Amino acid sequence: MVVGVKVGLIAIGAALAIGLSAIATGLAQSRIGAAMAGAIAERPELVGSAIILVAIPETMVILGFVVAFLITALKSTVK
Amino acid sequence: MIEKMAKVEILGLKDIALETIDVIHELGTLHIEDLTERIGSMETKRVTRMEMDPKYADHEATLNNLRAKVGDMIRELQPDPETMSKEEIANEYKALWSDNVEVMVSRLEKLLREVERDTRDTVERKSDLMVELSRLEKYAPIMGKVQPLAERVARMQDMASIALIIERKYKAILNYLNEEISKITNGECEIISQDVDDESTAALIVFNRRFLKQVHEFLAVQDVNQVRLPSDLAKKPIDEAVAEVRARIAQIPAEVDEIDRTLSTVTSQYSVKLIAARNAIHDRLEAMQAVPKFAQTDQVFIISGWLPADAVDPMEKALEGNFGNKVILTVVDIREEHDEEEAPVSLANSPFTRYFEILYLLSKYPRYGTVDPTIVFAFFFPILFGLMVGDIGYGIIIMVAGWIVHRKYASKPLVNMAGFVMTVGGAWTIFFGIIYLEFFGDWIYRWLGLLNADGELDKYLLGTKNSTFKYPLDRIEGFTFMLAVCLIIGWIHMGIGLIIGMVNGRREKNYKHVMEKGGLFLVITGVLMIIAKFGLGWWPAWALGIGLLFFVGGIVLGAVGAGMGGAIESIVGAGNIFSYARLIAIGLASVIMANVANELAIEQAKNGVIGIIVGIVVFILLQALNIVIGVFSPSIHALRLHLVESFGKFFEPAKVRYEPFKKTGGEE
Repeated sequence: MVVGVKVGLIAIGAALAIGLSAIATGLAQSRIGAAMAGAIAERPELVGSAIILVAIPETMVILGFVVAFLITALKSTVK
Repeated sequence: MIEKMAKVEILGLKDIALETIDVIHELGTLHIEDLTERIGSMETKRVTRMEMDPKYADHEATLNNLRAKVGDMIRELQPDPETMSKEEIANEYKALWSDNVEVMVSRLEKLLREVERDTRDTVERKSDLMVELSRLEKYAPIMGKVQPLAERVARMQDMASIALIIERKYKAILNYLNEEISKITNGECEIISQDVDDESTAALIVFNRRFLKQVHEFLAVQDVNQVRLPSDLAKKPIDEAVAEVRARIAQIPAEVDEIDRTLSTVTSQYSVKLIAARNAIHDRLEAMQAVPKFAQTDQVFIISGWLPADAVDPMEKALEGNFGNKVILTVVDIREEHDEEEAPVSLANSPFTRYFEILYLLSKYPRYGTVDPTIVFAFFFPILFGLMVGDIGYGIIIMVAGWIVHRKYASKPLVNMAGFVMTVGGAWTIFFGIIYLEFFGDWIYRWLGLLNADGELDKYLLGTKNSTFKYPLDRIEGFTFMLAVCLIIGWIHMGIGLIIGMVNGRREKNYKHVMEKGGLFLVITGVLMIIAKFGLGWWPAWALGIGLLFFVGGIVLGAVGAGMGGAIESIVGAGNIFSYARLIAIGLASVIMANVANELAIEQAKNGVIGIIVGIVVFILLQALNIVIGVFSPSIHALRLHLVESFGKFFEPAKVRYEPFKKTGGEE
């Protein structure tokens, strides 16, 4: 039972790590994306820079994913 | 590599200015500097902008008109430049070109008259036929619908009929027309309607012939479309008219084909001449438009510009050979003049590295005097891409697709470059796929029986589960190990960026800049050594001490180099190294998705023949989706790691690219 609770908490921790960072990335990308869509409408040559700028906040969810994966690895230490 | 440039000033007697411009144009190596600003800032008023001879200015308008005409003709005849010999175009170009603009304009006008004479009637005839075909194709279905009714009406001597075409959404108007025409004809009328297609309805109004004039007058003010046949068909019985319309519809394409064949003969006769004319006009106008960028005094003209250092001698010889001592070329010492920052940049990379100049679609060229990072990009981009995708199957597909694109689009530089980069990326994907032993996910693990009942990697070809180095290197099970590898790759990648930054600083004798970059390099090295202590049990304590020393020393060096901002940048910049965790994270997401696709396919395949078919479809769809994501996402992230994490540490953009004043061969 205790082991089950611990594993559950690990899962919740991993879910929070990726979930919250994904929400943050989504919010950031929505704003950058909207701004870049406007910028590209004016200057289509900015499309390359736009792709890179939109990708920048993905660092958050990527690190969130890494942390989540590291948290799930704790499962093997639960006794 | 950035090509070494030289700045030159060319002075000569004003009466041979245009001839000199032509020689420079022909050589095609000088990047012209616009002297307008420099002239404006001069105290003396003796130097002014060079002005074109008024008689040449008049020809500019004529040449612009000719350019528009040639453009129209090329659009009409649509010659295919790829089938033409460059030599033939060059010969025609020489035949049209003349140093005397008036002569050149008259040659061009003569050519255009000839083309017009041979094509105008044919092109007009084709256009008329196309209009006729479009009109008849509109009539045909309408006439088809009303034909049976009209035939019946035709047999009734006293009755007349009018066909209408109405938009389906306004079909209700027919009731109104029926009421009004009934009033006009004292009830001797009938309207029959039938839908032609989704948008229109055909209607036939049948009424007593006595009221023909009144009905026509009424319809004229009602804004409805009467189906009016071409005059030659209007007087014929409807069945004959329908047959004739159908015959014409069948006949016109053959006539158009015949015209196309005639046009194609004319096209092959004139296409080379037209392309050469377009190129000649373009080059002549470009030469004329360059004139105001030069300067003049009462007696001499001054041309200033940049060219590759190797091209100085040929230019000097050409000018001397053509004009003797009437034109003098002087090389300006750019360091003395502090003009280096203004130098246009031209890259001279190896044939392999040149394909990776695709990077400069997203960024400007590096500033003159700094290090060109194309070779860093050419080396690291495919490796980072391959490290993320890392699958033998995906690699083969990416490599083959990339090579096909590269070969097929040899004449489109951008697509051609992208294809080549994809091919190299695909090769590295196969290489890392072999290291991970992945083939469309975990198929090789399954075939070799390396997985346990839970689908986890349990057996290894080399080493055991507890070995530090083992084969295959499973990214899911060996996540921590791969994370460390990615951080080390990040350290190397960022380190190269910082070393280039230090080299740039040293070249510019900006030693504070060198200290700032050196400080950040020490900090990231220290951070990595500190992290290693927590990840590697055998990591000695003294190495941790050195790591701490590097960390603190780096911050101090950064502060000495760039003040408080430098110290903060050193600490924040160290965080960039964690950005390289994406190398494993993106790859892991890809491999998990591939494994899920395999699992779903295998589960389906357990349900008999239909299950196998469904399984294959699921496998193909999911793996195809994963390949698309697997190409797009790693490309973006590998690019980002270059542009933000590595190049961001040293890259200074150039103000201008080297664009020589040359006969471009056209405006394609």
